Amino acid sequence: MKIFIQTIAYGVLVGAMYGLVTLGLGLLMGVMKFLNVAHGTFIVLGGYISYWLFALYGVNPYLSIPLVVIVMFLIGLIFYKLTLSPLLKLPSIGSRIDSSMLITFGVIYVVDNLMTIFWKPDVRTIVASFTGKSIQICGTKFSVTGLYGFAVAVIVAVVLYFILGRTSFGKRVRAATQDAEAAGLCGINVHRTYFISSGIAIALAGVAGVIVVSSYSINANGGLSWLLVAFVVMILAGEGNINAIVPAGLILGLLESIGVFIVGAPYRQAVALVIFIIILMFRPQGLFSKRGHTNR
Amino acid sequence: MINTKRTIVLAAITLLFVVLPLFVELGSSSMNILILLFVYIVLSQSWNLLGGYTGQINLGLAAFFGCSVLVTHLLWKSGMPICFAILAGSFSSVVLAGIIGLPTLRLRGVYFAIGTIALAEALRIIMGNVFPTSLSLPGTYASSFNVYPRYYLALGIAVFTVIVIERLVKSKFGLGIVCVRDDEEAAQVTGINTFKIKFVAFLMSAFLAGLAGGAYSFNRFYFHHISAVFEPLWTFQPLMAVVIGGSGTIAGPVIGSFFLVVLSELFAQNLGEAHLIIFGILFVLVVLFSPSGLVGWERGLRKVVGGLPMKHER
Repeated sequence: MKIFIQTIAYGVLVGAMYGLVTLGLGLLMGVMKFLNVAHGTFIVLGGYISYWLFALYGVNPYLSIPLVVIVMFLIGLIFYKLTLSPLLKLPSIGSRIDSSMLITFGVIYVVDNLMTIFWKPDVRTIVASFTGKSIQICGTKFSVTGLYGFAVAVIVAVVLYFILGRTSFGKRVRAATQDAEAAGLCGINVHRTYFISSGIAIALAGVAGVIVVSSYSINANGGLSWLLVAFVVMILAGEGNINAIVPAGLILGLLESIGVFIVGAPYRQAVALVIFIIILMFRPQGLFSKRGHTNR
Repeated sequence: MINTKRTIVLAAITLLFVVLPLFVELGSSSMNILILLFVYIVLSQSWNLLGGYTGQINLGLAAFFGCSVLVTHLLWKSGMPICFAILAGSFSSVVLAGIIGLPTLRLRGVYFAIGTIALAEALRIIMGNVFPTSLSLPGTYASSFNVYPRYYLALGIAVFTVIVIERLVKSKFGLGIVCVRDDEEAAQVTGINTFKIKFVAFLMSAFLAGLAGGAYSFNRFYFHHISAVFEPLWTFQPLMAVVIGGSGTIAGPVIGSFFLVVLSELFAQNLGEAHLIIFGILFVLVVLFSPSGLVGWERGLRKVVGGLPMKHER
């Protein structure tokens, strides 16, 4: 029983990180209908920035988040201008999603290999004073990095909720999501809105990277596994349902750790992916969306 | 007629590759590059059948390739003649495709892509756990090594694939899959069983990927980690070859594979990882500015390459 409660606790902490990892992907896909398969690569890039700040200047990874956000935001703006903005001309949403998927494949190739050349293919992780420590709460152990990750995930999700739900920028984003043409007619600069939102999405990937590198590890070609996690959580939450992403991440974390409890740790990722297929088949609109969904 | 012209071109290219090793001493490294080229041609044609003609972006091609590599290797080791081993490997890919296809082909558009890559990755992880150690053939296989049968087998499979795809897209079935690609709802309304036709295309694509896996397995005695043949790279490289060459055409995947394999071998010696960056940038540029790929490029290319079938069949 004690092991089971420990499993649940672990699942919650991991799940919060899964939610954090997904926010950027969910924003780009749900709001702008760009499928950014290079999302995992940007997570790794954000992780590298934090890693080097720590390794070279001893900056606490959690304090490096603001700087990572600024750098990744700018990278996101460049990324949008170079690769995604030309796709807005495409006639249908479907072809936009498909083309953005193909283009960001190319981006994976470019960025992954640049990172390999600059920083070697070694696995990197931040080993700070608190790494590996844990706190006991009611007899259940919580890792310190996991708790930090949980806190960052919740804070980021709440901030994103307020930006999208309460500010005029958020209103513009939501208007552009619902009907880009009508929003344009109402005087909203859709291009500019997408431009800024892309920056935010990539900055979110960067924050996730900081948490990943301080709780786990990164390597130059490791983006794909995080991308798959983000896919699973995005589908669980339901496409376009950004507020449900962190709860969906928690559910995945819990299901996964219970699954690992049953079948064993080497199959951790396989468990998540099988859950994913089951969800895709039986609830393609996600766990949290009520309305019907055409899967496109 | 285009058809006869195309046949002549295909026959000429085939003949060139058949006689090339007889007259020129290529050395085993060049022969291996050519074998890899043929494997890539088969893989990219296989991807093209589903991605280019049927409009279903399959990101799980590596699963079929790897499955066949593994089965061929194991059967060959257990003493089965290589031809039968390759056929059995390909059929194992078809069976796997049946299992993967039933749930994922019900998904539309990008969800199909996500579903296939998820299953392929799950399979890679499982295979890495089932076969944790390296796999190798006994030494007697290596002592009788001869590159020529491997070369001709790979060439034969590549030519077979091109002919099969060529015949297939001209058939009623080919018309059906193009209908599904262009407008799935409309195809359904006109009485095409879209699920069935997608499923059959998926199985065929898996069979071809299985043949490629067999040809690759025939040329390998030793696998450090069997999960390496399930790596997503085996999906992404053919995908890039198809898109760079021109998806939904016969010549596109061939040109794309040639481009990818031969140039990357040339570049890799001088540039290291940098050549992948060049391919990535080129790939982005092709998707952005020339969605029909190299095949769709200016008439000038047609003059340079000769009478290749440059008509874009989209």
